[in-house]
Amino acid sequence: MLRRNLLQLGVAGLAGGSFANLLQLRQASAASMPSNKKPASCILIWMDGGPTHFETFDPKPEAPVEIRGEFQPINTNVQGIQICEHLPQLASIAHKYAIVRSVCHNQGNHGAGNHYMMTGAPPRIPVGCGAFVSFHPSLGSVAAKERPAPHGLPPYFSMPSMSRSGGPNFLGAKYAPFVVGGDPSNKHFRVRDVELPSGISDDRFASRRDLRHLVDRLPRFSDPATADPVVAVDEFVQQGIELITTPDAQKAFDIHSESDATRDAYGRNSFGQRALLARRLVEAGVPFVTLYDGGWDHHSDLFGALKTRLPSWDQTVAALINDLDQRGLLETTMVIALGEFGRTPKISTLPGQAKAGRDHWANAMSILFAGGSTPGGQVIGATDRQGHSACERILAPENFVSTVYLKMGIDPDKVYYTPSGRPTHLVSDPTPIKELM
Amino acid sequence: MQGLSRKRDPKTRGLSPHFLSPRFAKKCGVCPRCSPKNAGTVPAFLAIFLALLFSPKIALAEEPNTSPANAATTNTSAAHASAAATAQPTKFELDIQPILTARGCNSGPCHGKSRGQNGFALSLLGFDSDMDFRSIVTDARGRRVTPAAPADSLLLQKATANLPHGGGKKLEIDSPDYQTLLQWIQSGFPRTSDSDPTLTQVSISPAPKPLAPGEELNLKVTATYSDGSARDVTLTSAYQSNEPAVLAVKPDGKIRAGSLPGEATIMARYMGNIATWSSAIPRPDPVDPKIYAQLPRKNFIDDLVYERLSQLNIVPSKPASDSQFLRRAYIDVIGRQPSREETRSFLQDPNPNKRYALIDALLERPEYADNWANKWADLLRPNPYRVGIKAVLSLDTWIRDAFRQNIPYDQFVRGILTARGSNWKNGAVTIFRDRREPEEIVTMVSQLFLGIRMDCAKCHQHPFEVYGQHDFYSFAAFFSRVGFKGTGLSPPISGGEETVLVKSSGEVRHPLTGKALTPKTLRGSEVPIAEGQDPREKLVEWMISESNPTFAQVAVNRVWAELFGIGIVDPVDDLRATNPPSNPKLLDQLAAHFRTIGFNQKELLRTILQSHVYSLSSEPNETNRGDHRNFSRHYRQRLRAEVLADAICDITETTQAYAGTPNGTRAMQLWTVRTESELLDAFGRPDPNQDPPCERIPESTVVQALHLMNAPAIASKITDENGLAKRLASSEMTPSQIVEDLYLASFSRFPDPNELSDLVSEFGKPNNDRRKLVEDILWSMLNSPEFTHKD
Repeated sequence: MLRRNLLQLGVAGLAGGSFANLLQLRQASAASMPSNKKPASCILIWMDGGPTHFETFDPKPEAPVEIRGEFQPINTNVQGIQICEHLPQLASIAHKYAIVRSVCHNQGNHGAGNHYMMTGAPPRIPVGCGAFVSFHPSLGSVAAKERPAPHGLPPYFSMPSMSRSGGPNFLGAKYAPFVVGGDPSNKHFRVRDVELPSGISDDRFASRRDLRHLVDRLPRFSDPATADPVVAVDEFVQQGIELITTPDAQKAFDIHSESDATRDAYGRNSFGQRALLARRLVEAGVPFVTLYDGGWDHHSDLFGALKTRLPSWDQTVAALINDLDQRGLLETTMVIALGEFGRTPKISTLPGQAKAGRDHWANAMSILFAGGSTPGGQVIGATDRQGHSACERILAPENFVSTVYLKMGIDPDKVYYTPSGRPTHLVSDPTPIKELM
Repeated sequence: MQGLSRKRDPKTRGLSPHFLSPRFAKKCGVCPRCSPKNAGTVPAFLAIFLALLFSPKIALAEEPNTSPANAATTNTSAAHASAAATAQPTKFELDIQPILTARGCNSGPCHGKSRGQNGFALSLLGFDSDMDFRSIVTDARGRRVTPAAPADSLLLQKATANLPHGGGKKLEIDSPDYQTLLQWIQSGFPRTSDSDPTLTQVSISPAPKPLAPGEELNLKVTATYSDGSARDVTLTSAYQSNEPAVLAVKPDGKIRAGSLPGEATIMARYMGNIATWSSAIPRPDPVDPKIYAQLPRKNFIDDLVYERLSQLNIVPSKPASDSQFLRRAYIDVIGRQPSREETRSFLQDPNPNKRYALIDALLERPEYADNWANKWADLLRPNPYRVGIKAVLSLDTWIRDAFRQNIPYDQFVRGILTARGSNWKNGAVTIFRDRREPEEIVTMVSQLFLGIRMDCAKCHQHPFEVYGQHDFYSFAAFFSRVGFKGTGLSPPISGGEETVLVKSSGEVRHPLTGKALTPKTLRGSEVPIAEGQDPREKLVEWMISESNPTFAQVAVNRVWAELFGIGIVDPVDDLRATNPPSNPKLLDQLAAHFRTIGFNQKELLRTILQSHVYSLSSEPNETNRGDHRNFSRHYRQRLRAEVLADAICDITETTQAYAGTPNGTRAMQLWTVRTESELLDAFGRPDPNQDPPCERIPESTVVQALHLMNAPAIASKITDENGLAKRLASSEMTPSQIVEDLYLASFSRFPDPNELSDLVSEFGKPNNDRRKLVEDILWSMLNSPEFTHKD
């Protein structure tokens, strides 16, 4: 450690002042890197649309009625922490997770907010609300690149669809998520196209692959500067073959081998069973799984919709945390739930809508952060009395993604080079949220 | 087909505060006008952050200090002390507004959003001086400025954070900017008068010149005023590079050439004015001019591409082989592979002009219409859940019919833009059924047919362009007389019949002034419309006239991009000074040629396909490995979803049934993306529920690889009892004849001797069942990039 510091000082001295800052930053993030801990995996519950912070983890019972809404807070099992009344199961295990109430940013539409939270980089040009954009690699794609994948399984899954901005950008399509569609709560659920077609034995598949080597002679232009799309295809074919031929991979998908009790605990609905599948994948060694959970854009009928949605969501997320905990996996598995932003303090009824809701609000949001040796039973930061904006421990998306990267054993200050040779910092501000480390 | 990204999220409809027709407002995201609900207290750093949105500091990810916390401290450089420098009295437009812009006061998340911030609203990036002046000086009973005690003015107290300010401290007391503001209040808030100079131009010096890799240069931005005076505004301008890897720019105007050869354009923006500076970084090793002189040339395309390549010291690749050319031309012109017999006869044809003959023959094939209509449907086809399935069918019929008749492009556009009648009878009116308000149709028309993106100008001055709200709504006024009769939209079925008609009158009003606007062409003049006239006729006349070069440019660019994988301008429908073509002369000449041949698309295709540039090999040489924009080699592309689906049927000699279509319908003929097909979805056909729906995914994915390997639908085609594999295996053909047929069918070429002997020897192995072996070879071929890609 001493020698390393000296080396860094030496370099800084040689390179002059501007370099010193950079090195200090790096040193800071290197110091906060958990040195001998096993890098954590991550199950990211992506609440697309922007979940309300008021009706989840940041209730404001003292605020005027047009802000506090219809729901009441309840006490959790940790003194002083209250969350929404419709999250009773999570309330009973608050010692297992932390709540961050003070991440905020400036991208109030879905396309841009998704990008900022999912990559830690603000979109570089104006982005439309409905857009699906990518200017920077996502958390999952970076994990796919930096973390070893279990044999035969892709390192990055997204279920049941890809999240917006969840792609690899310049890292290349091989770090795109493997999307598992379909509904695992369905009796006949199987991962499409991963099984060999009927009538094709393993042996026959093997001989087909041998034949393919004889037949496939199109020249490849391997220089990355040429960006030959065929080179990328080779990697996908290889990935596909491994997925088909590795027994562990097939086993990881077999949700039907779980006991009824476990399946019930997660909730017999598609989100619940996907969460269970995510646990199986993490157990099999997959470093990153996104559970895409859409429909949190409650411009109208917020209370009606959440009254039915929150209880089952609560059941699933609590079951996931508890199950990981019981299996001894929580220490090495992060469970994170968030969306692209929070929602407006003032309840509003849009023209043409009968029921009230809340609208987009990037000045405040709440994040549930469990596992991966995160100290539980704590709230980090706060919003003001009316939940308008983060006012204590104001944190940026950069801090959030840096925390996730560090816990995965990835240096957020890493420099990547784009295919055209441009250096790019993984995160522009690599400072993690220290309370979570 | 590339282009026309439409932004329409049904979920966000009805949320926008956009002025005239809030229901269908398009969202750009620059300003919270487009994310209207994000009002309220914004932490200080956020304000700065969005102010930096267009600044290269954000674009250049290698800048370590782009986090919000750092941004606040690093980018509040003094606007300038220009007032002092010119010894003129401080004037609002000349001195104060640039400060408000440089400090981020009028940026999107702060006072620049449409509702302002805590009651104080400025125009976004200062495009409306009258409004800004009113806001500061007269609104709220003048409480923001205190002439009696200028330093106590709320404007200064807030900006210096002496009084609580949601945006934090924006000005240091005694900074030059503070002094300028103070002086302005002291002197009674003067504005520019008619006699005062106005900003006429922003320019960049020195003159553009080629740069060596790694070379640096300080750009200087000068604002020139109507009295001839000039100011250095280098530090208050915002910069952006269109290719930061080639040419990077910093907030102080310093540019640096990267290590790769290429071209880039730097944009500088100051107070709504834009200047550009383009440069090329050639490969460092010169190429002998004789090499270019000896290249084969057929027409102007070859001349202009080679000319560009010689400037960059790039040598084009070798010509493609006959079989590469054959497959490429078939796929490009008619969207299918040549059959075994067609391939055999072309490859064995000794005629030296056989490529030209092939091009001529392909252009007469009936599949031409389906292939190009399929591409245009991507651009024009609305969401069937919105406009109704029948309206989508009649639009599809209209498009296919137009390509079947090879209607000249100008007439094609006229047919769409002046459409009237029933949505069940004239498919073209479906466009108007979908985009019902002038503001909605105008963004599509300008982007699709003029390559001009007007969305931003709907709410504020376009940040990279000369257009503002007045231009937008005056242009929209050409659609002010579109009327409707019958059953309107009733999603998700919308099955009714509706007639689009021309009303005898109708107007579009400016959202701020409320004034009814006379239709005005872009960068052109007002076009008075008589009562009873259809303003759209006048619009089309102007669009297709010679005075409007972008009409033909965007059209040829789109066709070019289909053939070469990338447009001369990229994205294809974004023609502006700040996004220049990679080969301006080529674009101009192609456009001129298109006009000369009467906008005949088949003739245009003939010209391009006959060029030697079109038939270059995809194999790079030492000089052009990194070229992606100058057409020095052919850029490989994956087959479109529909082409691939049809090719699998053709090769395996099977058919695919699509629900709700007659037997024998090809994927290319499907008229709605609602027709179910896992294959088409896996290979990235547009999803009408996605936004924008027309987006196609050109990349390959592991899902595609798995689908080709394992999908039951494809597996059964390979083993079909009436399919190719069974037929070949049960025939009397020798193994080498079978292998040859398989190569001709799948790869459009003969196997070479090694391939032939390798595969024939497989037939001799004792355990190999003949039919299974043929099936397995076929499977291998369909799973090879030589099949899935156009080489």
